[in-house]
Amino acid sequence: MKLISLREKLLLLEKKVEIVNWRLGQERFEAGPYDIVIIEGNPLIQQEVDLLKELRNNTPILISLGACAGLGGIPAIMPEKDRKMWYEKIYTSQYHPRGIDAVPLSNYVKIDFTIHGCPIDEEEVIRVIEELLSGKKPSYRGYSVCFECKLAGNSCLLLENKPCLGPITQGGCKAICISGGSPCYGCFGLREEANIPALKKIFDIKKLFSMFHSRTKI
Amino acid sequence: MITNEFIAKIEGHGSLRVNWENNTIKLHVHEGERLFEGILVGKTAEEAHWITPRICGICPIAHNLASLASLENALGIKINETAKLLRGLMKAGQMIQSHVLHLFFLSLPDYIGLDKGTELVKKDPKSFAKALSLKELADEIAFVIAGRNVHPTTTAIGGFHKIPSKKELEKLLEKIKKTEKEVEWAVKFFSELKYPELKVDLELVSQKDGKIVSNKTSDVDRKTSDVDIKDYKQNLEEELRDYSTAKFGKFQGREIMVGALARLANVRHSVSNILDFNNPFHNNIAQAVEIFEFSKEAEEIIEKLLTREMDSIIAKPSENATLKGIGAVEAPRGGLYHEIHLDEKGIITYANIITPTVQNLTSIEKSANALMEQFKDRPTKEKEKLLNMLVRAYDPCITCSVH
Repeated sequence: MKLISLREKLLLLEKKVEIVNWRLGQERFEAGPYDIVIIEGNPLIQQEVDLLKELRNNTPILISLGACAGLGGIPAIMPEKDRKMWYEKIYTSQYHPRGIDAVPLSNYVKIDFTIHGCPIDEEEVIRVIEELLSGKKPSYRGYSVCFECKLAGNSCLLLENKPCLGPITQGGCKAICISGGSPCYGCFGLREEANIPALKKIFDIKKLFSMFHSRTKI
Repeated sequence: MITNEFIAKIEGHGSLRVNWENNTIKLHVHEGERLFEGILVGKTAEEAHWITPRICGICPIAHNLASLASLENALGIKINETAKLLRGLMKAGQMIQSHVLHLFFLSLPDYIGLDKGTELVKKDPKSFAKALSLKELADEIAFVIAGRNVHPTTTAIGGFHKIPSKKELEKLLEKIKKTEKEVEWAVKFFSELKYPELKVDLELVSQKDGKIVSNKTSDVDRKTSDVDIKDYKQNLEEELRDYSTAKFGKFQGREIMVGALARLANVRHSVSNILDFNNPFHNNIAQAVEIFEFSKEAEEIIEKLLTREMDSIIAKPSENATLKGIGAVEAPRGGLYHEIHLDEKGIITYANIITPTVQNLTSIEKSANALMEQFKDRPTKEKEKLLNMLVRAYDPCITCSVH
């Protein structure tokens, strides 16, 4: 949905990169090897882990897209040890489950760059591809969500004694959740040199914000 | 292994397995179990309408609205008129957004000999520009009301954290009016495409005025057959199949189709004459008709909002709340049901979700088998193509079905 929201820019992107395998968007299928592979979501069955490893071995640039692939995200909230109980509750005890623990891609293979967000910011896809095409290694944003939050003209939730992960979260989202009246849930991942202990003094991060960060060491 | 076994241009991993000897078909669903109903348990009520949109990137607003409705039902909250209207606007935006994406980018290539939606820019640049302006309109409605084009940020249990200004609404209204021609064109465009002539005895089911309504029953026994939404669980059974991680839904034991075609069948719409309610391929035309319908509805809602005082107050829970709630909305692909139970502290103790695609999976198999029978003299390659087109016409969200 987010990629199609690029509209005219998606056409520009298609002029620069040839998309040879994108099941959701086209029938055209080429078995690779590829120059760049972008992967969304967590592997949830063993075959997907095997595929991920195969792609890693044959691809120079592997990029993860979104919070599930990058952080574990919502599916990773389910602890591995609880999966059996929930298979039984949701599907019955006769059911033969196929699923495995939902974890970030980086638990299995090396990821060259992570496009963060749930959802991603579609402009970020353009930026990363542009930088790769010009031979640059894409860089992460060195500032927190707070920086963009100030630019957006929002008042600070922490100053109102409301919890928010803005200070430890990497910018790039334009502080869109806070502008909508919600706190920052940290879906863009931790920023470099995040001062986690300071934020922990204000509120219990793990208790309030496990949504995207259940597998992050905080 | 790098494979193309999954059906392209649908959300999620599904494949049709054809038994060419006896001409029967099974729809295999390969997604790993996502266990959202388990993920919700132990979370706070405030997180539910934030977590469930992540079931689907194409209809996140519908999940957001269904969770909010179930929580408000559980907490005995009545939202104010402004919030009701704004949520109606969100739903209209969601319908247009999802239908435009499906029609132009997933389905249309089947009918005009393209591989992907963006190739339309070469073949018919004017039509492509119109498609993009429809997408832009839908994204704009979602952005102004819900705070973002996907995954709402402004909604809260009891109303909205933030409501749009009248100036923003006026601008949005202007945009809707400016896009009227494109909206009308979309209906004409999709009704003039040539669809395979498949005849299936479809039972079309949708939500209407707090009921689950089927078009199958005659007017005489209609009253007894329509069921209250609160009885959704007894009437929408889910079966397990050993070839699928999604459950297969049935209504009172029968295969049903839900979504745009079903909704239009059950309101006996004025444009019903361009629709064949026994041909699942016509779901495409029905979606185009709904782009028109929901754009009109969005216009009407904004006009209503502009004539009244906007109320931004978030409604509070009632003191004698039952703590058990059901939220049902018509999502782009059909009836969506969320049921959530809370404990006294507002922690979720139970969650049940039935998505539209769960209900459609059974019907997809039925229609695919009908296609095999009715098109049996066609070459195998052509049959395979038709089967994929048929699945796409249902606009399944396999990812949603394994929630």
